[in-house]
Amino acid sequence: MIFIHLFWEFFKIGVFSFGGGYATIPFLYHISQVYNWYSLDELTQMVAVASITPGPVGINVATYAGLKSAGILGSALATISEMLPSLFLVIIVSKLLKKFSDNFYVRAIIETLKPISCGLLTAVAIGLLKPEIKDIKAIILLAALLLLSWKSKKDPLFYILIAAFIGVINFIYIIQKH
Amino acid sequence: MSLFKLFIIFVKIGAILLGGGYVILPIMTSEFVDKRKLVSHDDVVDYFALAQSLPGIIAANMSMFIGYKLRGKWGAIIAMLGVTFVPFWCIVLLASVLSTLVNNSYVQGALWGVGVSVIALIMLTVREMWQKSKKNAFFYTIFILTLITLLVFKLSPIQTILLFTLIGVGYKRFREGRA
Repeated sequence: MIFIHLFWEFFKIGVFSFGGGYATIPFLYHISQVYNWYSLDELTQMVAVASITPGPVGINVATYAGLKSAGILGSALATISEMLPSLFLVIIVSKLLKKFSDNFYVRAIIETLKPISCGLLTAVAIGLLKPEIKDIKAIILLAALLLLSWKSKKDPLFYILIAAFIGVINFIYIIQKH
Repeated sequence: MSLFKLFIIFVKIGAILLGGGYVILPIMTSEFVDKRKLVSHDDVVDYFALAQSLPGIIAANMSMFIGYKLRGKWGAIIAMLGVTFVPFWCIVLLASVLSTLVNNSYVQGALWGVGVSVIALIMLTVREMWQKSKKNAFFYTIFILTLITLLVFKLSPIQTILLFTLIGVGYKRFREGRA
């Protein structure tokens, strides 16, 4: 019985959460109130863990909530149920785009999506940058990473690892100073 | 490309998906456009907007679009399972250990660095997107209006996408009608 509820609750999250990641948290909060699968404290802890492990936070939290609710089977079920609605939609949209690729409206939509896409990502960049502005070390590291790549592009993992390493060094330095 | 190979590529992508779902865009561009030349840069840009127009998690939606593009519906399913493979086992096997690590200062330090690298990666992607787009008056207008709507009027991405798709298509229809 718990598996049916689990499937249904996470399928609903997959249908109604737009904007990914933290957009799923209100739904998870609702679940913690209705069922006794996990407490509010556990939810907070889940979000914290979900943001330090690889993968999108919205999916990691589903995996974790499933695990708390019904063990490993629950976690597989919650993860897949949450992605199932978008799987259907992605397949349908991809098929339509292919079938009607010569259609005036489909071409107009695709052409309009490009500047919108650029705008969306620029807004993300600005949104992420804003809270870091006062952190002088973050700005120096950012400038260094950008400078490093200005001429030749490198693997994303290269930047992630270098920055993580510098972050650890920075913390060792802070600890020693105190 | 075999489904197995596709699965392995997405497992790798899932494993380095740190610091939130948005890094999926630079990672996808690096993996499928630059290294393997299987998908065009234009397609990746389209999928990013499409992935945000659909409900669900953006990084998963983008993976499924690319998976479908390369190997049809099985490609989409394989992409979905591949990209969540490492994240899934990380949570299932390490959740109890990790919950004690969250407040560890080394982990916090590394996360601080990862956060900065994510900003750098996204800025580089914006630059590349900008360089590779065909820019005309229509592009600039929609771009600037999108930015203002998101930053000043704080509409959600989905509302913004719907609004400007309607405006853009309406404008093109109007111009077509007159020509």
